[in-house]
Amino acid sequence: MVDLDMSEPPFSLLNDSAREHLRAGLDLAYFARDTIILDAGQPGEFVFVIHKGEVAELDINEAPERSRIGHYTDGDLFGAISVLNGTSRYRFIAEQESLCYLMPGQLFLSLCDSEPAFAEYFRNRIAEKTRLMSQRRSQEDVSLADFMVARVSECQREPLVVASTTSIGEAVRILRDRQADSLLVEWQEGLVEEDSSRPGKGYGMVTRTDMLESLVLEGADPELALSAVASRDLVGVEAQQYLFEALIEMTRHKVARVVVWSGGQLVGIVELTDVLSFFSSRSYVVSLQVEQASDLDDLRAASQRVPEMLDSLMARGVRMRFAMSMLAALNGRIIHKAWGLSMAEPQRSACCLLLLGSEGRGEQVSRTDQDNALILADGCDWPNLADDATHFTNVLAELGYPHCSGHIMISNPQWVGTLTQWQKRVRSWVAEPGPDNLMQLSILMDACSVAGDLTLGDRLRDILITETRGNEVLLSHFARAVLQFSTPLTLFGSLKRPEHGIDLKKGGIFPIVHGVRSLALERGIRATSTLERLEALVIDGRVERRDADDLGEALQVFSELRWRTGGSVPDINEGGANRIVVQSLSSLERDLLREALHIVREFKGRLSHRYHLEYA
Amino acid sequence: MNTMLRALRRVADRRRQAQGDYGWLFNPYTGNEMVSLDCETTGLDPKTAELVSIAAVCIRDDRVLTSESLDLRLARPGSLDGQSICVHRLRGIDLDGGLDVEEALTRLLDFIGNRPLVGWCIGYDLTILDRYLKELLGFALPNATIDVAQEYRRQLRRSHPEVVVSPEFERVAERLGVPIMGRHTALGDAVTTALMHLRLQNGALQEPG
Repeated sequence: MVDLDMSEPPFSLLNDSAREHLRAGLDLAYFARDTIILDAGQPGEFVFVIHKGEVAELDINEAPERSRIGHYTDGDLFGAISVLNGTSRYRFIAEQESLCYLMPGQLFLSLCDSEPAFAEYFRNRIAEKTRLMSQRRSQEDVSLADFMVARVSECQREPLVVASTTSIGEAVRILRDRQADSLLVEWQEGLVEEDSSRPGKGYGMVTRTDMLESLVLEGADPELALSAVASRDLVGVEAQQYLFEALIEMTRHKVARVVVWSGGQLVGIVELTDVLSFFSSRSYVVSLQVEQASDLDDLRAASQRVPEMLDSLMARGVRMRFAMSMLAALNGRIIHKAWGLSMAEPQRSACCLLLLGSEGRGEQVSRTDQDNALILADGCDWPNLADDATHFTNVLAELGYPHCSGHIMISNPQWVGTLTQWQKRVRSWVAEPGPDNLMQLSILMDACSVAGDLTLGDRLRDILITETRGNEVLLSHFARAVLQFSTPLTLFGSLKRPEHGIDLKKGGIFPIVHGVRSLALERGIRATSTLERLEALVIDGRVERRDADDLGEALQVFSELRWRTGGSVPDINEGGANRIVVQSLSSLERDLLREALHIVREFKGRLSHRYHLEYA
Repeated sequence: MNTMLRALRRVADRRRQAQGDYGWLFNPYTGNEMVSLDCETTGLDPKTAELVSIAAVCIRDDRVLTSESLDLRLARPGSLDGQSICVHRLRGIDLDGGLDVEEALTRLLDFIGNRPLVGWCIGYDLTILDRYLKELLGFALPNATIDVAQEYRRQLRRSHPEVVVSPEFERVAERLGVPIMGRHTALGDAVTTALMHLRLQNGALQEPG
C-alpha cells in the first residue's frame, strides 16, 4: 500500500514495471519532531520521500544562522546524493513530525542502473531540470511543442554560393534555374574586409530585389559583377539553435533570410517563408502586424495581442529565455514604431530614445511600467520638447505601457539631456554615491537604445564606462545593494502563514541582476541583458562558464515562476505577482526553486568577497 | 471474560498442536517485530460474515515495512451481496481467480508466525479468522494482540479523563496526523492502523493539541 504520486519527475522517468518494483520495495517510517533522520557523515542507506511533514537540511560546518541550506516538504525527495556518494554531506532533521517513504539504497541503485533517464535526473544540474519543467508545461500539447522547439537545421535549405565576380545577368539565370530567391556571394581575394572578425566575413548576399533595383532604378549594366550590389551584412544563426531564434533575429534586424553556420562553416540558409510554413504561430503574425501598422490605432491593436502571444508561447513549452527575447524584440519594435509615428522630424532621427530597467535588459515576463530616457543631439533645437515628451509617454500608456510611478520617463527633464549633460550627471552620481544616485546609475546601466540616432546610445555607454572605470570605491558601493534583501532559504515553507509566500523578485531576481550588473560595470561590458552580460563576463574571464550557466538558469527559474503566478497581466498591487507560495508548487518546481536560491546564495557570497561587502 | 476464554483455549490448543505442523506458532515471541492485520468481509456479524480479503504488514521498530506485506484476495464467498460490495468495493468479478480459504489461511499463518498482532478492533477480525481456523485446522490464533482502538481509548482517558470517546477510524487517524491510505482495502487499513499504532507508541496524545 504505497500512496506515492509517480506522475512527477523523477518517478515519471521510470517505466511501469520499474514503478511497480519501486512500490513493492518501499517502507514507511515516522520521525518525531527534531529527530535527526540522516546525519552528516553517516552512510546513506535510504532515499527518503516525504509523504507528509517537513524536513530541514543543515550544513553543520556553518554558523547556526547560516547552517540551514534546504527545506523539504510533502512529495520531496532527499538522501539520493548520499546513497550515490556513500555518505551524507549534510544533516537532515525533522522540523515537524514527518512520515517518509524509505527506498532502500540497493533498490535505488538498481533503478539507476536499469533506467538511465532516472539516474541522469540525480546527476543533472539545474539546466536539465528546467528543461523538464518546460517539457511538463507543454505536456497538454506535445505535438505543438515539438513543432515549436524545431531546430534551425530542420528547416534550412542548401546555400547557393557564387563567386563575387559573377555578373548580375548570370546570377539572374541561376536564380531562375534553381527557383531560388537569393544567392550567397563568396568574395574573391582582396575584397574581404580586413577588420571584420565575425564569422562569415567571406560571404555576402544578393536577393532578387537587390538586383531588380540596381538594374531598373540605378540602370546598372547586367554585366556588372555581383560584388557591386551584394550586401555584406549577413545575419547568421547556428544550425543547432532553435528555429525560433532565427525568427527573433529576423524580427530584430528586419531581414527575411538568415544564413546558417555550423562550426564556422556555411551550411545553409533559412528563409522567412520557410519559417512561416514551419510555424504559423501568432508570434510572427503579431510582429508582422507591428511592422505593417501605419498609424497608432493599428499599433495599439497589435500591441494588445502581445500578452496573449507570450502566454501561447509559454503554454507550448518554449523556454523562458526565448519567450523573453521574443517579447523584448517585439516591445522594442512597438516603441520604435510609436516613436516614428508620434514624433516629428528632424528631432525624431537626431535624438536617441533609450529603454531602461527590465525593458532595457529585455527581461520582462509581463508588460510593466514604461521606463525611458532621451539623449538630445548636440545643438538640436526642440522648442516643444516638454509637450512632445509628455505626449509620447501618453502614447505609450495607450499602447499598454503604463506611466512609471517613479517618473523615470522622458516627460521628466531629469531623464532628458545632451551627451554633455548626461556626462555631468554621471559624474555627479559617481562623485556622491548615495542610495538615490546609485539607483539612477544602475537604471542607466541597463539603457538600451531603440529609436532615433542609435550612435548616441553607444556614446553614452562609452561615457558610462570611462567615468566609472577602475573606481573600486564606487564598485563596492554599487554592489552593496546585492545584500539588501536576504535570500529566503530560511523561510522556505515554514512561514507562520505560508500564504505570505516568498518574494521572488527581492530574494532571487534582484541579486542576480544587480550582481551581474556590478560585474559588468567593473569590466566595462556593453551588453544590457543579464544573460548577454554573463556571456561577455565568461569571455572576459571574470566568471566561470559553469557559474554563468547556473546563474542564467536560476534567473529563468525565477522568471518562469513569476510568470506563472502573475501571468502576463501587469500587477498594479506591487509585490502581489512577485510572491510565490511554496506549498502550491509541484515537488519538481520546489526542487528547482531550492536549487536556484542556492545558486543566488553562493553568488552573493562570491560578490561580497570580491567587493569586500562584509565590512560594510 | 473473553480474554480468559481465549487464554484457556490457547492452553488447550498448544497441547494438542505441540507435535503438529503449527506447533511453532505457540512458542513465545522474542523479536522486535509485529504484524498489523486487517480483513474485509461480507457482513458485520462475525458469526456469519465471510472473508473477502486479508492483508498483513510487518512493523519493525519505528518502521512500517510495506515492502514486507501480504495481500490476499479470496474466491467469491456465497454471501457476497450488494451491501458489502458497497463497503469494500470488491465485486464478484474482482474475486475471480482468488484463493480458496484454506490456501489463504495457510499463507497468512506462514506470514504472521508467532509475532504479535496489531489491528483496529482486532477482536472482530480474530473472531472471523478463528471461526475458519477452528474448522480447518482445529485451533485459534494463539498470538498476542494489540487493539489500536482500545489503546487509543486508554491513552485518551489517561490524558483527557473528561472526554467520552467512541473512536472512529477516520477521526482517530486525523487526530494522530496519520494519512488514510486506501480506506476499506484490507492492505490500506492495515498500513493506516500500523501507522496509528506507531504514533500512539511514540506518545502522540501526550503532545499538546
